This record gives sequence, structure tokens and C-alpha cells, in this order.
Amino acid sequence: MAQQQLDHLIKSEYAAGFTTDIESDTLPPGLDEEVVAFISAKKNEPDWLRDWRLKAYRGWRKMAEPAWAHVRYPKIDFDAVSYYSSPKAMADRPKSLDEVDPELLATYEKLGIPLHEQEALAGVAVDAVFDSVSVATTFRHKLAEAGVIFCPISEAVQEYPELVQKYLGSVVPQHDNFYAALNSAVFSDGSFVYIPKGVRCPMELSTYFRINEAKTGQFERTLIIADEGSHVSYLEGCTAPMRDENQLHAAVVELVALDNAEIKYSTVQNWYPGDAEGKGGIYNFVTKRGVAHHNAHISWTQVETGSAVTWKYPSVILRGDNSIGEFYSVALTNNYQQADTGTKMIHIGKNTRSTIISKGISAGRSSNAYRGLVRMSPRSTGSRNYTQCDSLLIGDRCGAHTYPYIESRNPSAVVEHEATTSKVSDDQLYLCQQRGIDTEKAVSMIVNGFCKEVFKELPMEFAVEAGKLLEVSLEGSVG
Amino acid sequence: MADYIEQALQRPPANAPRWLDLFHQQGRRSCREKALPTGKTEDWKYTSLRALGQRDYAGQPAPVAASGDLQRHYRIADFSSHTLVFVNGHFSPALSAGSLPAGVELVRFGEADAGQAERIQNWLGKVASREQSVFTALNESGLADGIYLRVTKNTRLETPIQVIWLTTPQSEAFTVSQRLLLVMEPGSDATVMEYFTSDAAEQNSFTNGITELVLEQNARLRHYRLHAEQEQALHIGGVHASLERDANLDSFHLAVGGTLKRIDITVNHNGPGAHCNLQGVYLLRNRQHVDYHTCIEHRVPRCTSDEVFRGIIGDAARAVFNGRIHIHPDAQKTLAQLSNKNLLTSDAAEVDTKPELEIYADDVQCAHGATVAQLDETSLHYLRTRGIAADEAKVMLSFGFINELLNRIPDAAVAAHLRPMLSQFFSGEQHFVR
Repeated sequence: MAQQQLDHLIKSEYAAGFTTDIESDTLPPGLDEEVVAFISAKKNEPDWLRDWRLKAYRGWRKMAEPAWAHVRYPKIDFDAVSYYSSPKAMADRPKSLDEVDPELLATYEKLGIPLHEQEALAGVAVDAVFDSVSVATTFRHKLAEAGVIFCPISEAVQEYPELVQKYLGSVVPQHDNFYAALNSAVFSDGSFVYIPKGVRCPMELSTYFRINEAKTGQFERTLIIADEGSHVSYLEGCTAPMRDENQLHAAVVELVALDNAEIKYSTVQNWYPGDAEGKGGIYNFVTKRGVAHHNAHISWTQVETGSAVTWKYPSVILRGDNSIGEFYSVALTNNYQQADTGTKMIHIGKNTRSTIISKGISAGRSSNAYRGLVRMSPRSTGSRNYTQCDSLLIGDRCGAHTYPYIESRNPSAVVEHEATTSKVSDDQLYLCQQRGIDTEKAVSMIVNGFCKEVFKELPMEFAVEAGKLLEVSLEGSVG
Repeated sequence: MADYIEQALQRPPANAPRWLDLFHQQGRRSCREKALPTGKTEDWKYTSLRALGQRDYAGQPAPVAASGDLQRHYRIADFSSHTLVFVNGHFSPALSAGSLPAGVELVRFGEADAGQAERIQNWLGKVASREQSVFTALNESGLADGIYLRVTKNTRLETPIQVIWLTTPQSEAFTVSQRLLLVMEPGSDATVMEYFTSDAAEQNSFTNGITELVLEQNARLRHYRLHAEQEQALHIGGVHASLERDANLDSFHLAVGGTLKRIDITVNHNGPGAHCNLQGVYLLRNRQHVDYHTCIEHRVPRCTSDEVFRGIIGDAARAVFNGRIHIHPDAQKTLAQLSNKNLLTSDAAEVDTKPELEIYADDVQCAHGATVAQLDETSLHYLRTRGIAADEAKVMLSFGFINELLNRIPDAAVAAHLRPMLSQFFSGEQHFVR
């Protein structure tokens, strides 16, 4: 009985799975130097950036796909992917929201992201990325008053080339890894954020990524620079249509927190996870990394419910003394989803601190792995790390794994790691039922309680959203 | 390293019994088929095999004239046991002592009759698969002698059995391929100690020592594997156990550092209700290296395991620990725990630890924890306020850190033997081996 209710709870539909019928310019599948040059030309990029992309591409050709993650998927044919797709209506970049194709706006409306400023969530500026291009960025003028730059990265290349050139690839070098190299060669759009010295960004910034076109990959690149003493909170959301074939998403996110700056980066990742038989879904192979300078603070919060396969390790390089790195993660896998996710905390500066809280929930026949690295370098005197990884298993056909790497080369550094695995216990369920709470609700409560430490790190609207998302993603799995 | 393996394969063991030929061949084949470990091999990420290439270790050990003087390197006071002593891989009747009680079959591979050889072949390589590691395959290809010990059904062995593997330097560097095969029949009960030691001179040996433990239903084994060789002695080896229904294994490990020491421990829970207690201590200084890789396989329901490893790492030494717990599908109601704690006592010391959980069943309780730190400042301060000198306070706290594990050793004589040895380590005496 409880089983059936649990089952029901886990089996709900992917609400963001519709497609938008819109004409688009899509490159034929395949990747060579011409494609890279085409993308660069299409975006009217300066020579240095084209050469930078080509260098990345040449390096990528020599690299091998990483095979160490605890995920299995058929080999990706990189020549079957289209590397650029843009809605036709975007060919002449619209000057304002009024000129944006209503069909596009309707898509975001449907996803719950209204782009009209008067309707938008007060205090959240949105950059909406549709396949390979950014369709709209809200509240730009209001932000400009504070001196904050928030625009598509393709625009930043034109308008702030010196900033882009200085920081692009400074955190995730072109040849950092296979997917980062691929992204460096073909990245299309993404957000660029610059917060000037001492400025506290007046509103939350957010980017909403949408894959629409079939057989395309999405390769966005986000670069956030928080200058000395500044503060910014950034959110990212993602969805894609339901399709039987797998689609590739290989993004790179670079964060630079200069002295005394603070960056809070939150992700609610809800790419299409594939159907109950494990067909379709997004391959989410993402490189996210931040560098924290003196006294800087970088915090990653992620709620990962989507994607067929996730390969993602948001990391912090604690370069400056007294810098702080945090990683809060809820990763939920159901049906045949696979996730290998975690973080790296590289302590270089003195008295650096890092906290890792990871909650993995596996249901159905899914596999969910935490993989993390905490490294204390010889210089990192007085540094501290605390890691807690908890896994919750729902069903006896899923897997939950923990692979924490701890490397310490400084005696005064303290590293603590603990991990537990458990299931939603019958006792807990019984207690709830006794108090008149039905099983479905009880499981959802227990799961929400399990994730509370992470949800409290999310901005309020998103915490509510994340809780709901979790409930929906779990539907039909409990049991 | 590749050179070493190639040379070792080209020198088949001398004086090995004919029935081992098949094992030699299979070991050789498996060895050749395997990719050699490099820094990119996950299992060898933190351990370099460079030391194996620095001397020509492929030589064969020559028999050594037994001298009673060697006893002081392994004798444990008040610990009466049946003792088998091997010097540089050769059995030494003169040093071995004690008589075996009824119900125990103890044979050296080299002396096994046809029936015994058959029983050995039934088990040899079954728990320690040559497919697991190139060094297990290499061990198999180089086996000249080994010990087969069978404790028959419902036999309770009051006197422990002690196997001493002692090395002493020879003119030419050499390899000892050693194997212990222990079969505990249903309901049997025994204590077995493996003691790897050497004399105090600078060693030039490489020991590749594999132990296979078979615990049938309800068998109980208290097992020790102690490594206290002089630091130049290289060792790569492992203990591989198979636990049937309600079997109980209590295994204690100790390693003082050496140039290269790598020990793999695998415990397979193959029958429901089996339990394993695994404890280990490693102490390193100078430029020593110790690598413990443990793997607890829970294949069936209702088993439990409890693993605790602690290490103290000083000078420019490096300790590696990898503790894996693998819960197979259907291994419901498993309770598994692992804890690894490390103390770093010097700026140049390093520890790389990775506790791993791989879980495929939901109704289980698993936890692991790992810490790396130095001695607690407040504890040190507390002791100093009581008039204890800083150095002494450090020794006390370090010793206390591992004494918790020594206190759990079931045989008081063994704990009493280890305590002064270890306190010698903390007081900074250069040579651990007397």
C-alpha cells in the first residue's frame, strides 16, 4: 500500500517538455575548423577570440573523453550534433522586448519566466538563452545605473572586450578537460556579469537556459567577475523539450571573486531527464569553477533534478588568504538517470575555509554518485574543510555512491569528511501516518527535510520552486 | 617497473612442486595481459612503483643458515604459539617451533602429498583472484612455496599459529613470492598471526605476499598481519577473505613505514550473517610510504562490517588510504561502517585518503568518515597546564590516538608487545626494528 503511493508519487510528468515551433537557423551537424570559424564570424568576433576558439578546437581533437565517472552511456557522435542554432527572428537582434518574437516570449511565459519587466519577479533580472542565443535580458538599465554589467557574453565581447579577454579562460583554461575544450571552441552564448568595486548588486541576476531545436547541443559560457568588495547573487535555471534522442549540453561557468568579493551562484537544473524507460534526455557535461581571492567568498548551491546523465563538479580554488568556498547540493535521480556530481575545494591560501553539504537521492533504477576532492596544499596553513554527504535510497534497484578524495599536505589544516546512507525508514513513515499524514505527503516531507540544509541556501522564491520540483521529480518513484 | 616484471617472469621459481606449474603458467599469462599500473591508474594514483625499478629485484632468494639470533626480531613475550619461520622465503625448521593440536592440517606447498595438493588446488587463487591485480598474478607465477593451513570442522584452536616472514639482506636483491592459504572449516575457531619482519641491516628484498582466508559457516578467526620490516624492505601484497554464513573475522593490521609498502585487503561477505572487524594502524616517518587499499564486499543480506584505520605521518612521509564499501543489490539489512583518521605531524608529510561507498541496496545503514588534522591544540595545552613538557605531551596524545585501537586487540600479549614498539616510534628512535 505504502509502496503504491510511493510509486505514484514518483511518476509525474516533465512539465517543461514541450517544444516551441519556431523557425530557426541551424548549422548542419558536424564540427571542424570551419564551423568554429563560422560561429565566430556569425557573432562578429575579433580575431583574438577566433584564434582562441581554434586553439581550443585543435587541442580538443587530441583529447579523449573522460571515462572515470560512474556513468554509462553510448558513445557520443560529435559529428551528429549541430553546434549552432538560433531562432530566425533573432537574426536582426531586437532592440527591445517589444521586438522579440512573441512565440519566444510565450515559451518563457509557459516556463514561468515572464520576460516583461513589469510582470517579472520584482528584484530578479533575467537573461534568457534560447538554444545558441540570448533572446532577452531584463532590467539592464536599472542595473547599469548601479554600474553592473549584465548582458549576453556575445555582446560583452563587442562592448567590453578588455574585460572578456582578461578573464575568459582564466579560471577554466581552454584545455582544462574534454568538454571544457569543446565548449571553448564552439560556445555560443551565455551571460556576462561584471560587478564594479564595492557594489552590492541591487537585484538577483538570473539566466534561463532553454534547449529547443532537435539534434543541437547547447554550449553556453558564463563569466562572472565580482570586483573588489562587491557582492552578487546569481541564479540559473534550465529546461528542454522531451525528445527520444539524447542531446548534449556542455557548458562552462567561470567565477572570479576578487579581494573581499562575494559570489553566490545557484542552479536549479531541470533538463529533460529522459522517460521512465531511460530513453532520451540531456547529457549534462558541465565545468564550473570559481577563483576566490583574498577574503573572497564563493558559494555554489545546486538542485539537480534533470538530465539523463550529469557530469558536473562546481569547484572553488581558494587562492587568497581567508577565502571561503561553499558547495551545497541536492541531486535527485529517478528512473534511469545517472549523476556523477560533486565539487573540488582546492585550498591554496592561508586560513581558507570550505564547507561541502551534499544530499543525494536515488530512486527507480538510477545511479547517483558524489565525487569530491578536498586538497590542502602545503601553503594552506590553518585551513579548514568540513564535508557531509548523505544519500537517501528509494527503491532497491538504484545506486548511491560516494567517492571523496582527500589530499592533505599541511599539518595545521583540518579536514573532516563524513557520509551516511539510509532509506526513508518505515518508522518515520509510520510516525507521520499516525499523525494523519498520508504516505505520499510523508515521503515528500521526509525528503524535503533531508534537503533542508541545502534549500535554505537558495534565494526564497527558488527554494519554494526547488521543493516543488523535487516533489514532481520523485512522483512515481517512491516505493 | 616493466623491466622488473619482465625479468621476474623470465625467472621461473626454482624447486617448486610440479603441480604448481599450471598456476605459474596462468599467473604469467595473466600478468602479461594486464596493463601495468601507472600514475593514471585509479588504484595507483598516489603510489609510485619507481622503487621497484631502482634495484634488480628479480633475483631469487638463497637459503640462509638459521641463527637463533634472528628470534629477537619477532619473538612476542608470553605469547605461546605454534611458529613457522621463513627466512627470505625459505622455510627454517630450526627456528620453527611448537606442536600442532589435533584437527589442524598444516602443510607447506613444497611438501604436499597428492591428496593435499588436490585440496590446495581447490582453493588456491579462489579468493585472491589473479585478475584483481598484476601483483597477485605475479605472485602466482612466482610461487615456490607457501602454507596451507586447514582447521577442521568444529576444532577450537587454543594456541595461536604464527607465521614469520623474515628477510635479511643478500648480495643480490631478490623477490619473495609468498602465499598463505587458510581454510577454516565450519564451526572452527583459531588465531593466526602473520608477522613480516627483518633484521636491522639495510634490506634489499621485495616481498609479494598474498594471504587467502576462507571462513566457512560459523567459523571464527582472529587474524593479525603485522609489518615491521626495516624501511628499505619493499612489500606489495594483500589479504583476501571469503566469509560464509555467520562467519566472523577479526583482523588487525599494522604497518610501520617503508620505501614502498602497499597492502590490499578484500573481505567478501558471501554468506548471510557474516561479520568482519577490520582495524589498522600505520606509522610513517622519514620519506616512507604506506598504502592501504581496503575493500569490503557485501554480497548477501544481513552482514555487518566495522572498519577503523588510523595513521600518524611525520617527516616527509606519505600515507595513502582507500577504503571501499560495496553493497551489492539484494544485500539488504547490511550495516557497514568505516572510519579513517590521520594525524600529520610535520609540514612535509602528506596523506591522501578516500573512503568510498558504492551502494545498490536501499535497506542498509552505511557510514564512513575520514579526518586529517594535527594534534589538538587544546589537549596539548591542557597537558602542559598539568606540568607535562610539550614533547612528552605530544607523545602521550599520539600514543593515545592509536592506543584506542591497540586496546581492542583480543590477545593481551600482542598488545603488550606492540605498545613499547610503538612508543619507541614516537620517541623518535631511528630504527624501529631492534
